[in-house]
Amino acid sequence: MTSRLTVGHVAARVLTFVILVVAAVAITAPFLWIFRGALSGSDAELYRLPPTFHAENLTLGNFGKVTEQVPYFRFFLNSIIVSGTVTIAQLITCSTAAYAFARLRFRGKGVLFAVVIGSLMIPIQVTIVPLFLVMSKIGMTNSLWALIFPGIFSAFGIFLLRQHFMALPYELEEAAKIDGASRFHTFARVIIPLSGPSIATLGILCFTYWWNDLLLPLVMISDTEKQTLPVGLVLLAGRFSTGSLGTIAAGIAMAIVPVLIVFIAAQRYIVQSIASSGLKL
Amino acid sequence: MTTKPTATRPRGDGAAALAFLTPSILTFLVFVLAPTVGVLILSFFDWNLLSDGTFAGLDNFQRLFTDERLLGVYGSTTYMALVILAVNVVLGLLLAVLLETGMPRWIRAFFRLSFLFPFVVSASAVALIWRFLLNKDLGLVNYLLGLTGLDRIDWLGSSTWAPISVIMVNSWKTIGFSILVYIAGLQSIPKQLREAAIVDGAGAWTRFWRITFPLLSPTIFFLVVINTINSFQIFAEPRVLTQGGPGDSSRTIVEYLYDRAFGDFDLGYASAIGITFALVLVVLTAIQFWFSRRWTHYQ
Repeated sequence: MTSRLTVGHVAARVLTFVILVVAAVAITAPFLWIFRGALSGSDAELYRLPPTFHAENLTLGNFGKVTEQVPYFRFFLNSIIVSGTVTIAQLITCSTAAYAFARLRFRGKGVLFAVVIGSLMIPIQVTIVPLFLVMSKIGMTNSLWALIFPGIFSAFGIFLLRQHFMALPYELEEAAKIDGASRFHTFARVIIPLSGPSIATLGILCFTYWWNDLLLPLVMISDTEKQTLPVGLVLLAGRFSTGSLGTIAAGIAMAIVPVLIVFIAAQRYIVQSIASSGLKL
Repeated sequence: MTTKPTATRPRGDGAAALAFLTPSILTFLVFVLAPTVGVLILSFFDWNLLSDGTFAGLDNFQRLFTDERLLGVYGSTTYMALVILAVNVVLGLLLAVLLETGMPRWIRAFFRLSFLFPFVVSASAVALIWRFLLNKDLGLVNYLLGLTGLDRIDWLGSSTWAPISVIMVNSWKTIGFSILVYIAGLQSIPKQLREAAIVDGAGAWTRFWRITFPLLSPTIFFLVVINTINSFQIFAEPRVLTQGGPGDSSRTIVEYLYDRAFGDFDLGYASAIGITFALVLVVLTAIQFWFSRRWTHYQ
């Protein structure tokens, strides 16, 4: 096996590496470009070709201008409140329901589970119109609740956690049962502690989805103050004609940097979560 | 004689089940089932936001068949969705296989992270970045094309290139997800199988098609399903990049539905469009499951 390093093998190795490098550059360069653009003192500098990092007037002033033009920190806070609340609520509703489907015996279980799976095929884009009417009837449009409630039920989440719970060994629960633990106690003290990775998977996928969602806030929210970051960025960029491009670039960069920090800090979890989403189904 | 109750009639957990299911059932009823029934009802009404609706019978459904734009929008949605699907499934597999070919660990980790990062960035931020880069006169992409001697392309303003821009930007954002799922699938293939094939003298090409590919088929199937559903639901990229234009060349069905509902306030007709979209998703899923029975190999 050691003498198989022929010219062909070396060429294949080099080619592989070149393809991967080209792909990695294509993926990362746009981010570097926008970070550099956020520091540009003028539009001409932002669009200078070829782009250079060196510049006569690098500035941090664009970041201040972002917060002058739009309530940027408000957008940010709103996004955190919405995605955070939806994620916590979804983890609670999905894990309890998943436990019932995985472990409890009750009438109508099969039908109920079929309904849950069926609802996977009716995404929020289909029901957005009546959802808006329901929200306006109960007076929740134009509030963050309108962005939180529609995300709480997740058929995907119930399915994902159910698959995981079913794979846990029964014996652990039997032991808890013999000790006289209630169903809820068993769930909270035995099942949940054993399900960290699956719960993290669902949490990360849920948070990412709602953090990035553009449709629901566009439909539900009319006050600028109550918008989330994705719409906020579009509002900021809507001033393409009047505002400076550096300010827009700074707004985008400010949205990306916190995500980048969390991404690097939690990379192991995120990578594993997404990698295993395919194996669990 | 009485048998033990546990043997014949398993003790039900009705009360506990109800408690565990209540949060889901309540949110399901109000925010999923009610709106789903609502779509069906609304589609029979002529309804705008200012006045309550009047019954319109099948008018909205008749309009579906006479609305020429709708067919065009379904055409452009399907075109963009299928190409994005193909890029994710094919290019994603290629990159995942290349990543798994004996690269040092830290290099692999670096590539994996850089491929995945756009997936966690919001689509509107991604689309705004590319709006700069794809600018016809000042954008970096056309500058690079110019260096190779090619003509400038009107990425966002021509009906040929606008949908291609949406395809590129969405694929760029989502391919990391597919790559990662593929890597997990590749790593779950037992090493012994490949080693045995090497001993038998099978080349890399044969090994890929005879071992890797069949054993990867559940992963491929998962990615086809997920990417189909996701790519048919695209909204943010065309909205921010091209506003669906020029004409309807890069408009997706969700964008069209959004404009009918919240641009024209034509809620009844928008609901009828929503029903067609749900039907499309149901049919697509059914087709995929039918196919998967025929060629997916489970270990």
